[in-house]
Amino acid sequence: MRFPKIMAVIFFLSCVLLWSAPVPAGSHAPETTGAGHTAGSPDNPAAANSTETSAHGSGHANLGEILPLWSCIPFACMLLSIALMPLLLPNFWHHHFGKVSAFWAAALGIPFLWIFKGGALYEILHIILVDYVPFIILLWSLYTVSGGILLRGSLRGTPVVNTIILIIGVILASWMGTTGAAMLLIRPFLRANNYRKNRTFMVVFFIFLVANVGGSLTPLGDPPLFLGYLHGVTFFWTFKIMPHMLMVSVLLLIIYFFLDTYHYRKEGASVPKEEAKEPLKIEGTYNFLFLGGVVGAVLMSGMVDLGEINILGIHRAIQDWLRDGILVLLGIASLIATPIKLREDNEFTWFPIIEVASLFIGIFVTMIPCLLILKAGAHGDLAFLINMVEKPYHYFWITGTLSSFLDNAPTYLTFFNTALGSFYSGLTEAQAVPLLMTENAIYLKAISTGAVFFGACSYIGNAPNFMVRSIAEESGTPMPSFFGYILKYSMIFLIPTFAIVSLIFF
Amino acid sequence: MIFKKILFHTHFRELALNSLKTIMELKKVGLESIILTHIIPRDEVSFVPYGGYLKETEIQMKTEARMRFEDWQKIIAEHGIKSRIRIEVGAPNAEILSIAEEEGVDLIVIGRKKRTLMEKVYVGSHIMDILRRSTVPVLMSKFMVQFEWNNEQLTRTNDHIFNRPMLATDWSQPSENAMQSMSALKELAKTILVVHVIDAKLSKGMDRDRLSSIEKESKSRLQNYCRTIEQFGMSAEHHLSAGKTVQELVRLSRDHKASMIVMGKTGKDWFQEYWLGGVSHQIAELSELPVLLIP
Repeated sequence: MRFPKIMAVIFFLSCVLLWSAPVPAGSHAPETTGAGHTAGSPDNPAAANSTETSAHGSGHANLGEILPLWSCIPFACMLLSIALMPLLLPNFWHHHFGKVSAFWAAALGIPFLWIFKGGALYEILHIILVDYVPFIILLWSLYTVSGGILLRGSLRGTPVVNTIILIIGVILASWMGTTGAAMLLIRPFLRANNYRKNRTFMVVFFIFLVANVGGSLTPLGDPPLFLGYLHGVTFFWTFKIMPHMLMVSVLLLIIYFFLDTYHYRKEGASVPKEEAKEPLKIEGTYNFLFLGGVVGAVLMSGMVDLGEINILGIHRAIQDWLRDGILVLLGIASLIATPIKLREDNEFTWFPIIEVASLFIGIFVTMIPCLLILKAGAHGDLAFLINMVEKPYHYFWITGTLSSFLDNAPTYLTFFNTALGSFYSGLTEAQAVPLLMTENAIYLKAISTGAVFFGACSYIGNAPNFMVRSIAEESGTPMPSFFGYILKYSMIFLIPTFAIVSLIFF
Repeated sequence: MIFKKILFHTHFRELALNSLKTIMELKKVGLESIILTHIIPRDEVSFVPYGGYLKETEIQMKTEARMRFEDWQKIIAEHGIKSRIRIEVGAPNAEILSIAEEEGVDLIVIGRKKRTLMEKVYVGSHIMDILRRSTVPVLMSKFMVQFEWNNEQLTRTNDHIFNRPMLATDWSQPSENAMQSMSALKELAKTILVVHVIDAKLSKGMDRDRLSSIEKESKSRLQNYCRTIEQFGMSAEHHLSAGKTVQELVRLSRDHKASMIVMGKTGKDWFQEYWLGGVSHQIAELSELPVLLIP
């Protein structure tokens, strides 16, 4: 009973604090056009449709200048809940995470609406329609489609075979999402190694490579990059971080291979001969077609300009709605085409995607003040942060460090906006993002790689990490504790690798 | 057909043990062993958001289930029936079907579970999902049920469910199979009620001669069913009705004091079963009686 009381007190304080904030004169819903992503060629930011202006543009930048820093408290609490509750109150968290998310969203949303009325309503609707809905639809479609692909057969986990699985995972992750690739390969990977004694390090490297680093090449790969895409970063821009991704992947794969070989020899492991061999086979291959459809739909939305549509006062590109509709249809087509038995054999469940949807509504709503203040640049209460992060390596390490302990998607968006506020304060998002991709590409690279790579540093850095951990533990593979993972693996293998990347590229 | 080996699945809801006791009556007709099964839904213990797997909770849930089952095993043993325990984590329906196949059971017994709207949309009815894919008969047990009849709230206890089964036939092959399965209840069932409903949709707009011909044909078929059952050494009575099939079947079961409803698996396609619901689906959901569905 103590916990709800604490929540009630926090909620009350949040209301009181926001009530004490100065109310802007023109806090009505501004008539600005929607952000969407920048139209034009996906590879040519210069061809961006200049008529699209940002909803976070000059129209109501004043809200970011007025909002006090403590209006970010619900966002911080939301992220801290994600970081601490699975550790401190796992059972409570497992059954009530949706309520916790709703609570923090309400703790920000109610006083925000009360004080800023139309302006606040606009911001909430904007972040839901422009960011949250397409974000969840993409994750849902990738999760649904990749959940219909099943890899059967008796693989035997030798160092070579394991390394090949990891390489395949890294390649797939950018095209089917880190979640999709991880869910496709983790069970065959665990089955292949069920005769091995020490499997923990294998799963940890699987999380490093397949559930995180591999997803850095396209906006489909990792949620932060898709958020960047929604805000105007072109689809193929992320290929510019291929050298960074290759460096991290190759280093980690080499380390993995030597570790696996060492343990393989030490264990004296030999492939069991008595087991019946089942030939390798991929079922539900037609889902690769749907996956192709997902890639095509996302690409399409970046290449065509069908105009805009106003829904609930939010202007959004028609091609973005079209993309979301196609993604939903592809997901449904996959559900219809894939036999239930195949999904059951894949141990497919909706629970993880429901979790992500429930938690991210809280994240997106509570992060509104933080984003607005950051966009206000030197005029906002987070000017000190903007002044503090100057060099590319600052962005890399700060985005990265926070991504390790907070979810990397909101962290990416926070520093993406920090960069915009820092370099292009006063410009609309549609004007600023193409400049950031070209003039100051190194900063965007630092933010992108920081968010994606460091997501691997802890179980809470990226959503697939906890799914892989859960599946591994269920199958009997002991996994390190939260801090054990960081101290025994991230600090030893990841941080030195990232230091090399930082030295070479930033 | 003999129900020698039964899979009894339970969520340990109230009166689950009473349901089990009603099943043990089958000992008289050859029941040898019961596989006590409890499936912990995977979502209960896994995918803790940003956490992982609740291993301790799983162990605790398994221990609790095992202790309850071990207590039940004593009662089962008193009836001279063997039993085994299966407690797994997974998707309940898939696990039940998988264990049934692995163990080679002759009958799956499951309790009624109310589903949320979302679950209905995704999975359809619990029993229909299992029946649609099961190769063995499925009994949906309902020990104590509250239901409404003539604007009155009534409570019914289904304790001697094999006493007076009502076989509802639509003349399909699964209905034939259901009739054949009645032989398994020879020592238990006093009388088998055989019923058929001429559906209102079929008879609507039909001329009197055609309707009369269908009625005659139906009665003749019902008599044939009864003769077959009598050849098993059991008594049978038949009833013909017309109207909305589901409502009529429920009414017939109440009017003639049936103790359970036996039906063949309907031949609807999966789309109709999921979204519209077949007769067996609706009967399983609506009737206050246990429903035995034969594939």
